[in-house]
This record gives sequence, C-alpha cells and structure tokens, in this order.
Amino acid sequence: MPRYAIIIDAKKCVGCYACQVACQMQNELGPENAFIRFEDRETGKYPNPKYVMVPLQCQHCQDAPCVPVCPTTASHKDKNGLTMIDKNKCMGCRRCVPACPYNARTYLKDEGVVQACNMCLSLVSKGEEPVCVATCLTKARYFGDLDNPQGEFAKQLAKAKQLRPDFGTKPTLLYII
Amino acid sequence: MWANKFPRRTFLKATAATAAAVGAGDVFSFGEWMKQASAAPVTKIPSLCETCSAACGMWVHVKNGRIWKVTGQKDHGQSKGQLCARGHAGIAQAYHKDRITHPMKRVGENDFMPITWEQAYSEIAAKLKKVLKEHGPDKVFFSHNPRPTNAFYWPRLMAAVGSNTIQSHHSMCSTGRDVAYKWTTGGMANADLGKTKYIVFLGRNYVEGLSPSSAAGMAVAHGKGTTIIVVDPRHSNACLFATEWVPIRPGTDLALLLAVANVLIAENLYDKEFVDEWCVGFDEFKKGMKDYTPEWASAVTDIPADTIYAIARGLGKNRPTSCIEQGYKAPNGCNYANGTQMFRMVACVNALLGNYGQDGGMKFGNAPKLGSLDAKKYPAPPKPKAARCDGVGIKGEYPLCQPNQGIVHMMPQRALEGKAKAGFLYRINVARNAPQPELLTKGYKALDLFVVCDIKWSESAMCAHYVLPECSAAEREDLPAIVGATVTMRTAAIDVVHSETKPLPEIVTELAGHMGLEKYFNFTREEVAAAMVKPLGVTLEDLRAKGTVKVKAPAAKPLSFATGSKKVELYCKAFADHGHKPVPEWEPPFAKADKNSFVLIHGKQGFLSHTTSISDPYLLAVAKRGDLERLWINADRAKKMGIKDGDLVEVASPQATRKVRVKVTERVHPEAAYLPAGYGRFAPFLKTGVGYGINPNDFTPCRAEAISGHAMMMEVTVTIRKVGE
Repeated sequence: MPRYAIIIDAKKCVGCYACQVACQMQNELGPENAFIRFEDRETGKYPNPKYVMVPLQCQHCQDAPCVPVCPTTASHKDKNGLTMIDKNKCMGCRRCVPACPYNARTYLKDEGVVQACNMCLSLVSKGEEPVCVATCLTKARYFGDLDNPQGEFAKQLAKAKQLRPDFGTKPTLLYII
Repeated sequence: MWANKFPRRTFLKATAATAAAVGAGDVFSFGEWMKQASAAPVTKIPSLCETCSAACGMWVHVKNGRIWKVTGQKDHGQSKGQLCARGHAGIAQAYHKDRITHPMKRVGENDFMPITWEQAYSEIAAKLKKVLKEHGPDKVFFSHNPRPTNAFYWPRLMAAVGSNTIQSHHSMCSTGRDVAYKWTTGGMANADLGKTKYIVFLGRNYVEGLSPSSAAGMAVAHGKGTTIIVVDPRHSNACLFATEWVPIRPGTDLALLLAVANVLIAENLYDKEFVDEWCVGFDEFKKGMKDYTPEWASAVTDIPADTIYAIARGLGKNRPTSCIEQGYKAPNGCNYANGTQMFRMVACVNALLGNYGQDGGMKFGNAPKLGSLDAKKYPAPPKPKAARCDGVGIKGEYPLCQPNQGIVHMMPQRALEGKAKAGFLYRINVARNAPQPELLTKGYKALDLFVVCDIKWSESAMCAHYVLPECSAAEREDLPAIVGATVTMRTAAIDVVHSETKPLPEIVTELAGHMGLEKYFNFTREEVAAAMVKPLGVTLEDLRAKGTVKVKAPAAKPLSFATGSKKVELYCKAFADHGHKPVPEWEPPFAKADKNSFVLIHGKQGFLSHTTSISDPYLLAVAKRGDLERLWINADRAKKMGIKDGDLVEVASPQATRKVRVKVTERVHPEAAYLPAGYGRFAPFLKTGVGYGINPNDFTPCRAEAISGHAMMMEVTVTIRKVGE
C-alpha cells in the first residue's frame, strides 16, 4: 500500500489562497468550511523583515489524536495510512476538533459532520494529484508516496520535516520552512 | 518555534469566531443537491475566467447541469494549468445572489423596477436619439474593460451613433505607463523574466496582482538565482522571491530612476552602441541627468545612496540581460502626479541598458493576427468625426493620451459640467473603483441617459437609468482572442440560470435595431468568430473542443520603434510640443507624509481583483478568516502613536473619515499606510460583502494627471488615530 504524503515548501508559498478555495470546490464545501488554513509569521525589523506563510491542513498523523477520541470510529486510519473520517459514522460530536493540535478539522453545520483533508483520494485513485498540489501557482507543494518517492517529491523529501514534532503525533505531511 | 501559534484555546476561539463572522453567505444550496450530485457523471467544458484581466483558460467541470469546479488549461499562456483563488471561486457567479436578473429601470433614488427588454430598448433608443438630436454625438460616451466580445460590439454601436468617446479602465490602471511608452518607444515591451539576470520591479507585484503564469515565472526566476530587486513602500508577498526588498518613500520612484541613469552615464555603464543607433536626444538627456546623483536621490527616496549605486551597477554590469520591469498600475500607471514621466524614465533606462529585443531584456510581442468580417457583406459604420467629451486628443486638454483608453474616471465631472449627456457602461464599476465616489455618483446621475450593462449589481449600476443584465461567463460563448501563440475562446458550460439575462452580442444587436442601425449588425456572433479564426487555420469546433489551440507565430520582426523618430525618444519632441518636459526632470508627488500623516497606498491581494471579488462569498470568507481588510502601518510609528495590532483606528483625509482595524507590521515604510484595494462596497442592492472593510478611493479627490489624464490614485495623505481596542 502506498503511503501518500504532501510536502509543502513554505518558502515558496505566496499566500494566494488558491489551494484553499480549490479544495473547497473539489470537496463541495461552503465558504465557511475549509480544509486548508493559513498561519503567517513575521520576524526581523524594518527594513529587513522576514515573512513566511504556512498552509495547514490534516497532517495525517501516524499517531492521530483525533482517532482515539472518536466515539463512533468515524475518525480512523485507512489502509494508506491516511487519517480519514467516515461521514456515515460521524455523529457530529466534534470531540476530534479540539483534539487535533493543528486545528485542521472543520464542522459542516448543514450536514452535522466533521470533515478534513482526505488527500483527494478520489482523484489520486485515478492517477491525479490532490487539487491543492495541482493548482499551486508557485509549485510549493509536492505529492508522492513516502514508500516509493519519485521525481521532485523524492528530491524535496530530504529537506522536509514534520511541523511541530513535539506534539508527538508523527505527521505524514512534511514541510520545508 | 510555532508554539505561540498553536495554543489550543485560541484555535477553538478562532474557529467559533470565524464561523460566526462568515455566516451563511453561501451561493450554493448544498445538502440534497450535493448528495445526488456526488455520484453524477462530470463533463469538462472549456471557458475563460472572468474575475480579472488575465482571463485564464479554464475547464469548467459540470455535474448534473451545475458547475462543480474549475481547473486550469495547460496550453493557455496565462493559466498554464493553474488557477488562482479568484478563478476557483469566481466561476460560481452564475449562481450569485447579486445577479441582475431582469432589465431594470430606475424609478427612485435607490429604487428600480423590472421591465421587459422591449421596453428597455425602446426607451433607451428614444432617449439616446433625443440626446443626439439636442447635443450631437460628441456628448455621448462609452466606458468598459476591453475584452474580445465587448471590444467588437460596443464600439461598433457607438461608431454607428457617431460617438468617438470610447474609454477603457486604463485611466484607473495603466494609462501613465501606456502613454509614456507610446511616445518613448512606440509601444510596450515586456521584461523577459525567464532569461534576465538582474531585474528591478517598481511596485509591481507578480504574486498578488497576479496571473498564475506571472507568479510561477517569478518563483522559477528566483529558484534559478536571478537577482530580483523589489522597490516598493510595502514588503509585498512578491518579496518572498526577491533578492532584496528596497523600501522607498511613496511616489518617488522617478528620483530613483533619474539617479540610476546618472550612474549608468557617469560610470560609462550604458550601451553606447545601442544609444547611438537607436536613441534620439542622448546629449540633452545626459545633460538632464547630470545633477541627479544617488546622494541627491537618497534624500528624496529614503533609499541609501549605496543601494542606489548597487542597483545602477547591477543593471549596468548585467546589460543587456538586465531590465527595469515594465510596471503596471503601481507606481507609475495611474498613482502619482509624476507617473507619466516616471514611466518615461523606465523606458529610457531600459534603452541605456540596450536591452530592447534582447534575451533577458525587454521584448516586444509578436502575436498572430485574427481575421475580420468581410466589409462588403457586412458594412461597418463610418469612423465618427465627433469630438471626444473626455478631452483626449484635444489641444489644451489631453492631446497625448491614448485615444483607445481615454479618461474614464472624469466622465461624472464632465457630466456635471454639461460636457457629457449620455453614457453607457459595460462591466466596469467606476463609481467604486475610482476616487471620490460621492462625486462620481452625483455626476453619473446628472446625465440625461445613463445605461449600465453588467452581470451583478454594482455602485455604478445603482446610478443608471437602465440596467441591462448579461449572462455570466459560464453561460455564454464569446469571441476568440489571441494569447501568445495560441487562440482561445470561452464556450458556454451551463444553461442560462436566469432566463431574462442575455449574452452581449444579442443585447447590442437588438439595441442597434431599435436605433434603426441594424444594417451594421447584419451578422451573428458565430459569423464574427468564424471570420476571426479563419486566417489561423482553426475552426470554432476546434476551439469548442480544446478551448485553447496553438497557432503559428509570425516570424520575428527586426527591432523597430513606432515613435515619430522611429527611435527611442530620450528627448521626446511630442512632449516638448505640448508644453511638457521633453527630458524627464524631478517633480515631487503631491502627497508627502509628515510626522502626523501617512501617504495612503493600496494594492491587490492575491485572492481579490477590485471590488467585484470581495462580493464573492468564498473570497469574502478568506478575507474574514485572516482579517485581511486591515490597514498596515509601520511598527515603530504605531508604537509612537500608541496603536497596537488589531486596534480600531479612524483614518481621515479632508474628504472622508472611516474606521478600520490595524495590522502593525515591519513590512511597510514608516511614511506609508497600506490599505488593500477592493473593499468597502456600498451599493445597497448587494447581498454579499457590502460594508466590509474600507476603500482608499473614499479619501482621494477625483482629478486627472496633466499629461495622460490618469487618476493619481495614491495622491492623498491621511491621519490615523486610535479609537478602540
């Protein structure tokens, strides 16, 4: 089984929000629900500031804190190692939302369920990339298989790190910052 | 290091606040439809985005007759496979709550009633005929943002009624640049970013005033190690790809360029051969630059003299694979009183570098040409002889301004002066996007006849006597366009959502019929489209299947300059003839900050284009999640003023006072306050985005710059004081 992952080179993220909106369209979310969110950080003093924008989404943690808190097993690890939510089992209790230290889950009010990044598995199964990767204007995102890294994904993998490893959740999403 | 960004309680709070703030401004009705649709087959239809001027090629994915999502066309030169946030969100305007669904007639201050198309055409035709009879065609104008279909249809109708005043959005955008280039090099050349070794951007922001391909190009150039200098009072997101950010005092880019020219000449770093062969007036130019040393410019621009020397030497030593990027709106297009001469200097410095026509320098486009209708079978109206009512081409007014651009933002003023009596606006929102909305609104309402044709309600539409609803991008097929060495066309992806909306060719043709001018419109849109693509060996069926089709580019032309002298005019005779400085000299902008005030600068964010996109529910939600409507002020100055990040402040100019929250940042020049453009909508008919954020145009007076007539949109200082936590 492949272990799908995304590497985000935050140094190339210009904060255009294309990935966020494309993801909303792909997953048929309303404007208020997004699987991708952004944190930005400014350091340094004028006239030498530094700025970085970090897109955050489900980190598909290997030790995902959202899984054990789910009372219905809706939140689960799938065969690809992804953290997925079974819509049919989710009762909308939202215990998983604060359990996620990356704040990567969103509650769909109309449907009464929680959802998060699903790695666009419906596209990936057809050999396509997740929409956030496909639409990234500056190619700051790389999609690939951790067990069989190829091409650009493999090249970037050496530089990529987990975000906040101190959370102890072993994220699968990796960052270059 | 991200510890402070991940406190769990804050996350919870933020989530709750966002949900409450964003609310349910959703255009789609999800729920049932979505459940049914998720398994439905998907068809992909080619279209073009219409959220900004880039008009990217896109595939519209349709499920159950409804738009699901869009993806970028790989062969389209602007999208190259990717789309920005505006593109992903904007296609849904077909379902927008702010759509104009019927022809409307104004019956009160902010009161409209739906009427039939027949009534709209008859009444508009009768009133236009009356204006033509009483005042002649020189008091009739038409304003738009030129796109292939409207650029064909509307001017033809205006010519048929005898009017010469066709205006684009450029006096609020890039007229200063375009006028300067016209008289200096004969046309606009583009920076060859892919091959340049050293490039200077003056205010231009490829990643926020973006097209996907320009943002991608900047990332690639950065990755290759190109030296990229970004000169801007604001550390924009484009600075992520800059070798160096050079903060500059607002409106002083002209001084920087004068000093760069001074160093290139003084240190013999210019291309003497190019100047001898291709330039006129070098001796006068050299004399003119003599006193503008980097030390002098440093005091004017607030850039260290060493940095100015370094920029000039970097450009000079890398020539001809070095350039000053051509610019757009900022800082030279339409923002400051010295904008036109500032841009003449961009063209002149590039000439000193000898980079025209060179790889890595400034290149003129060489696009294939579209065909046109057979003039015998389809007679075109004669070229009108009427005078223009915006002063363009008229001695003593704006003789040097581009006749195809005009001075769109001054028409309300002209109406108040009785110089304009009837106006037509197509898909342009001057009343919100130009300075001084109160005056603009009053002026448009003073016209005898004012007709707005648009898709959604706007501040300008609210001023109209008649509002004509067009169908949206996804619902119509348009005329083809050339992009690079391709031809591209929008096709209809879905059925019309509102049955009383129509595509533009129908509207103009039917209106012409009511004016008794049907002989000039004896064809269908399809016939025009077929005639346009015929010489390219492409059929409409090709375009309907592929969206964008590669065509053969004409052979490269030898270098030439379409000026009076056929050379680059370092000394511009036309400028001298009309009383303007033939060699650029330093002139300060009107707006200068003091210890109590700021120059109000503005610029785009990557997910917005003007005001139309903030009324998109998805893009509005992006802004609200990030508090992106805030006013940026420099951290040191904020501290001195007792202002903290997130405080509510009152911003005031002699013209307006508004309240907004503040972003305290190290990323802006201390004398500049940056307000993102595109917020502050006020049209009462809008259901989304109205009243959110404030707009820089509220503070700025409506004026025209002396040479090209542009709107000088950043020529205002404001005071800022804290009024709340």
